[in-house]
Amino acid sequence: MTIGWLLAAEEGGFGVDFNILETNLINLVIIIGVLYYFGGKFLGKTLSTRQSAITTAITEAEQRKKEAAAALAEQQQKLAQAQAEAKKILTEAQTTAERTREAILAQSQTDVERMRATAAQDLTSQEARVMRELQQRIAALAIERSEAALPGQLNDDLQRRLVDSSIALLQGE
Amino acid sequence: MLMIHPLVLAKLEVGQHLYWQLGGLKLHGQVFLTSWFVIGALLLVSFLATRNIQRVPSGLQNFMEYALEFIRDLAKNQIGEKEYRPWVPFVGTLFLFIFVSNWSGALIPWKLIHLPSGELAAPTNDINTTVALALLTSLAYFYAGFSNRGLGYFAKYIEPTPILLPINILEDFTKPLSLSFRLFGNILADELVVAVLVLLVPLFVPLPVMVLGLFTSAIQALIFATLAAAYIGEAIEGHGGEEHG
Repeated sequence: MTIGWLLAAEEGGFGVDFNILETNLINLVIIIGVLYYFGGKFLGKTLSTRQSAITTAITEAEQRKKEAAAALAEQQQKLAQAQAEAKKILTEAQTTAERTREAILAQSQTDVERMRATAAQDLTSQEARVMRELQQRIAALAIERSEAALPGQLNDDLQRRLVDSSIALLQGE
Repeated sequence: MLMIHPLVLAKLEVGQHLYWQLGGLKLHGQVFLTSWFVIGALLLVSFLATRNIQRVPSGLQNFMEYALEFIRDLAKNQIGEKEYRPWVPFVGTLFLFIFVSNWSGALIPWKLIHLPSGELAAPTNDINTTVALALLTSLAYFYAGFSNRGLGYFAKYIEPTPILLPINILEDFTKPLSLSFRLFGNILADELVVAVLVLLVPLFVPLPVMVLGLFTSAIQALIFATLAAAYIGEAIEGHGGEEHG
């Protein structure tokens, strides 16, 4: 029934239909043209906006990356400096400690020497004092003994002789 | 396959098909031809756009990235930030296929090519195509529901109250039905209106209707993809949305 509306020649196979009005070609061309013109304009603007936004984002990200890398390098440098500083302080402290140790050692050495000398000196003076006391005591004892023994043995003759020898002793000096 | 009874309107043909016999099936050949064309166009553009990927996109790559962003936002809005990612390809395929189909039907002078029977047009003006797409959507949201909530998916049938059980079951049938018929009806009606006007006044008068048709076609593609994503999102979330807690 619908076949009747088609041309007999076109019936039954694939083909190309060039009837411009029937195929709606003019309207389609117009609408495609309009769509291409306005749609292309709109789409072009949208897409270029998008592209520039992406470009900006990428540039900013790269910039931030670069800045971050620079900051990292700077901080690493600071870290290295700080480490060197720490090492220097450590070495200084060690030398100071060594020097102090030696100084203290030397100091104590001299102290010991001095104390030893003082002790020796003390000893000698003590000895001398003791010797002196001893001598005095001996002398005192001898005088006491002789004073005790003297009255019994002493007679005139002996006394005279004693006085004479004492005078002779005094003359001799 | 569903048959639309032939309806004769002057020289207008509806329900005339180029039949291909495949086993016991009668295939609508013109739908396959245009579907292949659409699929081929999409594949070709995707290939060209991704062939030489630049860091700063330009030209076709930029355009396709724009389209991808659009689809991704659509899926994200409907399905939610957490679960949307695996569904972007499905929703995107639906949108791109339907959109390119509709616009190819509205913009490409298919009638230049004469077929033995029937005529080339948008694949979506055949109910079989739209039913296939709608059933795929149904499968997709069932799969989404079961894979995300397991058997707990059945709980949504008695939510918010068990009284709504029949209606909830009915929904599983009305969803693909409304999806397929909405798309099919809109596209077919649009093409018919344009065809009738062309038949009556061949020049210039059909132009506003054709522009309107372009608009409708785009909107229909958007609606189909949005609803598909919304059904998937609903199946994942459940009515209560307790999973957020």
